[in-house]
Amino acid sequence: MRAAPRWWVLFLLMGLQPGLHVSHAAGSFERDIKPILSEFCYDCHADGVEKGGVSLDAHATPAAMRQDLQLWEAVLNNVQAHIMPPIEKPQPSLEQRARIIEWVETEVFQIDCTNPDPGRVTIRRLNRFEYNNVIRDLFGITFQPADDFPADDSGYGFDNIGDVLSLSPLLFEKYLRAAEQVMDRTIVSGPSEPDVMEITHDMMHGGNDRDGAKWLTSNGDIISQYDFPGTGTYEITVVAGGDQAGDEPVKMAVSVGGRQIVIHSVKADRKTPREYRVDHHVEEGSQRVAMSFLNDYYEKTGPKKGDRNLMVERLVIKGPIRENNAALPPSHKRVFFRQHSENNRLEVAREIVSHFAFQAFRRPVSKGEIDRLMLIFRLAERKGETFETCVRLALQTILVSPSFLFREELQPEPDNPERVFPIDEFALASRLSFFIWSSMPDRELFGLASRGRLRENLDEQVRRMLRDTRAKAMADGFAEQWLQIRNLDLVTPSEDVFPGFTESLKESMRTETRMFFRHIQRYDLSILDFLGADYTFVNGELARHYDMPGIEGGEFRKVTLRGTPRMGVLTHGSILTITSNPSRTAPVKRGLWVLENLLGTPPPQPPDDIPEFEETAEAAASGTLRERLEKHRDSPVCRSCHARMDPLGFGLENFDAIGRYRLMEGDFLVDSSGKLVSGETFTNSRELSRILAEDKKEEFVRSFVERLLTYALGRGIKHFDRCAVNEIVGKAALGEHRFSDVVVAIAESAPFQLRRGDPFRPDEN
Amino acid sequence: MNIQTRKWALSRRGFLRGTGVALALPALESMIVPAMGQSQVKARLTKDGFPIRMGFVYHPNGVIVPNWVPRGNGNNYQMSPTLKTIERHRSEFQVIGGLDHHKAKANGDGGGDHARANATFLTGRQARKTAGADIRIGISVDQVAARFIGRETRLPSLELAGDKSRMAGKCDSGYSCAYQYNVSWKSESVPMPGEANPRLVFERLFGAGARRKPTESERLRKLYQNSILDLVLDDARRLKSKLGSTDQRKLDEYMESVREVEIRIQQAEKFDEFEMPDYKKPSGIPKDFRAHVRLMYDLMTLAFQTDTTRVASFLVAYDGSNRTYPQVGVNNGHHAISHHRGEADKIEKLKRIDYFLVSEFGYFLDKMRSVKEGDGTLLDHSMILYGGGIKDGDRHSHVDLPVLMAGRAGGVLHPGRAVHFGSVPMCNLYVSMLQVIGLPVSRFGDSTGLVRNI
Repeated sequence: MRAAPRWWVLFLLMGLQPGLHVSHAAGSFERDIKPILSEFCYDCHADGVEKGGVSLDAHATPAAMRQDLQLWEAVLNNVQAHIMPPIEKPQPSLEQRARIIEWVETEVFQIDCTNPDPGRVTIRRLNRFEYNNVIRDLFGITFQPADDFPADDSGYGFDNIGDVLSLSPLLFEKYLRAAEQVMDRTIVSGPSEPDVMEITHDMMHGGNDRDGAKWLTSNGDIISQYDFPGTGTYEITVVAGGDQAGDEPVKMAVSVGGRQIVIHSVKADRKTPREYRVDHHVEEGSQRVAMSFLNDYYEKTGPKKGDRNLMVERLVIKGPIRENNAALPPSHKRVFFRQHSENNRLEVAREIVSHFAFQAFRRPVSKGEIDRLMLIFRLAERKGETFETCVRLALQTILVSPSFLFREELQPEPDNPERVFPIDEFALASRLSFFIWSSMPDRELFGLASRGRLRENLDEQVRRMLRDTRAKAMADGFAEQWLQIRNLDLVTPSEDVFPGFTESLKESMRTETRMFFRHIQRYDLSILDFLGADYTFVNGELARHYDMPGIEGGEFRKVTLRGTPRMGVLTHGSILTITSNPSRTAPVKRGLWVLENLLGTPPPQPPDDIPEFEETAEAAASGTLRERLEKHRDSPVCRSCHARMDPLGFGLENFDAIGRYRLMEGDFLVDSSGKLVSGETFTNSRELSRILAEDKKEEFVRSFVERLLTYALGRGIKHFDRCAVNEIVGKAALGEHRFSDVVVAIAESAPFQLRRGDPFRPDEN
Repeated sequence: MNIQTRKWALSRRGFLRGTGVALALPALESMIVPAMGQSQVKARLTKDGFPIRMGFVYHPNGVIVPNWVPRGNGNNYQMSPTLKTIERHRSEFQVIGGLDHHKAKANGDGGGDHARANATFLTGRQARKTAGADIRIGISVDQVAARFIGRETRLPSLELAGDKSRMAGKCDSGYSCAYQYNVSWKSESVPMPGEANPRLVFERLFGAGARRKPTESERLRKLYQNSILDLVLDDARRLKSKLGSTDQRKLDEYMESVREVEIRIQQAEKFDEFEMPDYKKPSGIPKDFRAHVRLMYDLMTLAFQTDTTRVASFLVAYDGSNRTYPQVGVNNGHHAISHHRGEADKIEKLKRIDYFLVSEFGYFLDKMRSVKEGDGTLLDHSMILYGGGIKDGDRHSHVDLPVLMAGRAGGVLHPGRAVHFGSVPMCNLYVSMLQVIGLPVSRFGDSTGLVRNI
């Protein structure tokens, strides 16, 4: 068996049967189910007739049926999508369909909501978006190194799925580089105390070489040239001594670049030279450093007899040195939150490393882990690196370690699929923060987790997190993928047909949808507003595109849609554009988009070798696109699915391929009326939106919950998740579908709170 | 692009001849190598001592078949209209017919031919149909080569792509997007994503600047990097022991990548000093697709020329791509019109897209031929496979695929002709290619043997 079972199909079924609860008795097969199957299915799939290789009476009991789960998946899929029975045959009622579905789920698949299977989430690598956000929150810098990482692959519609996020050598190479770059931008360790250049006497000019030093026996200069590596303060130290004579000590001037900066009184004698130091600001570049003997003295005889000479052993230039702590960036001070001195270097380093390991690993860190991180600190120390560099290397190690890059969730008995455990509070904090902020937990979450009080404050914390500005990550991470507006990057409307379509208009469209999502999220409105909102956000450019007079300028503002043909997200320019072909609308794509993303009831895949419908010049002369499409789907094979997709798309035909309102298509009047397969009729897009927002409310809410749950968990939805979804949907309805109620209900759900073990699966190949 | 002659030091040749490469056999899932006990293999060089380079270029969404297939066989074949654009390279490539990818067919998995075509092209394996959990395909031919000969160059392999952005939401018919956006697979579950940004490719190839003796601070940096890698490998081992089996596989991915990078760092100084190519660092992705593709071909040439790597793949556009080609007046999406149903207007446009893609490949051949190596050219010492996993975009057929093979691999190949193998697995060609570079491989993917006389 190669193909993984497509359990998700079960889940989608729920879209058709609002209000049914699995806890009700599912009825016995003989009494409740067999008569339905017998009436509608057995003609082709029983008693030796096996159309399509499907025989429904091969198994007598649910236990026997469980041996062939794939068959029953197919049954569910086809019954749900109204593919079976074929449209020309007698059809079971919706209630009868629902009964079949419920029976299969409870009896064949044995889903038990009182003892829910939380499933398991594969360990998740940070994706690019999360990596950037975590770097921001860890160090307080805006640098986004992940922009140069290879793209993350997606699965189940999102790019935060543990199973799909792989780690190639190239990516690890980039992690290693990014860790260095992040540290470059966070702390000052490098050229601040880098180069200590020691210039010995044999590298200097002037004077005489004698006894391992330079000597000046008369006034004059000893000269050296040095390439100062940066602009800043340098410590310039001359190791000097001399022969003392007369009534004053040897005087030595030091000059840089021809300017005298200090005059030292050199009292040391030739046997015990001393260090004479001065700090001086120097511009980057090569400069002449001179030591001058200023007060030569020589008396051959008499009471003042003596000979004064200057001896220079070596010159030491250290720098540039940071002027003071104030010049250091805030991120540097954030890392070095405690000052060190020579006798507590190790202790301070350990404290810093422990602090960041905790933050970066998002959990308590063991002594052993810190010991290992300190190994690199000690190694660097032995190599004579600065304190800052030693700490920096330990932090770099943290940034490429598996506990940082992966979100680990440890549990007892990880291999035992029978045991279910609540995830620990730190893992819970991370699940929450990555769900709502796409980043690491903040101090408050860590604090609660440390005290074991997060679970009991869950509701309050989730609502707090949603109010935080970091919650806008849900627009980037979730909304852009749920609504697929990221695909705006990929669409290229034909320049011939739509000369007015610009990159800036594209950006405005994206902004509209993002702001719309943010508005519902921030003001905690009903998620039904996504479909039925009578408002949107436009700037001057988009307003012109939408034919809304009186709005100018680049700033977006909230406007009412009353009296316009638009309503909800479905009539956003972004959505209408990404569901079109470059030169024309694609009603089927729009219908499919609605089924997949808003209603959660995608049709099955089309049969192989069915060509996509496409525009030609001759065809356009024969009627509207709609008329031609209707002909196209005359074939019975195509009809059952297109009957579900096409009307949804036709209802939007008054919007062209870049979302402008239109009455005419070429020479023909656009007809945007239609009838859904479930019977509702509409005459235009607003009525269609209203039907979706009201009559299809249950499907939409369920679909939204499924998608948000997928995103929150980082895994695909499985058949056993239906209990959790039912519960979340139920809670959302109690709270009038407020955005926060859905998020809280997800956070409280079994799959979010619990883990079970992973059965060992040997490779099948 | 000013391409300098690569000077081959004698010592380097000696080095190449003398280096054996350890076979990591257990990890090569999709291969059966006869001499399992054999632990060393030598990358074969050309007669005059040059390494053989291996390149793979992907053509998306099939071709207009009548315009692709040449008339006749052998040296006197008649060039087809699409290939006319590279007539000037006639003596340097062969048109190959009769190669099939049966594992790209549905085989019971339903729709998703584009995802499968893409995923199967270099792997010869059936993609497991999943939207996420348990992704599985197989190691790709370029990565097999990279495992064997990749240690002899600074980078084991190079992966390039023409698409920066990826489709959000669902990919082809229930297949995870990983299948559709990657042709190169390091293992059965780890794709090697292609880099689309020419700037980043350049930095990866030449970022360190001209090779020279490392300074003290560079030596220290290396020391620290190695220590960091040791530490995190240790962490990974400890973590792995506490996880369930699926999570453990993810940690294995991590550890394998760390080790790979570790080897790369350790090996870096083994390589000769080379001069920075006289080529301006690209600043990003050009807006014009033609300019973008050309930059990528330039970089592939530079990578081969400087012997930074000997294995490269380029996914010009992924299969199913709906890119428009305004460069040749096609403002419709490529995928949408590829289902042309015989409509003349669409076929005409598809011909233009095919012509465009092949003529840009011709640009690559220009570059490869302009680099002199010994008495020949860089192309003479290469084998570059060009093709796609779908023959006819209208029908999604995966047999008799459109394939070109450019280069001589140092005199082993016979360019300048058209050849048709009837109907054999594409993987037979891959086995032959792997053998050309000296690998003792007898099977790969769904191969049934090899193709002789290529």
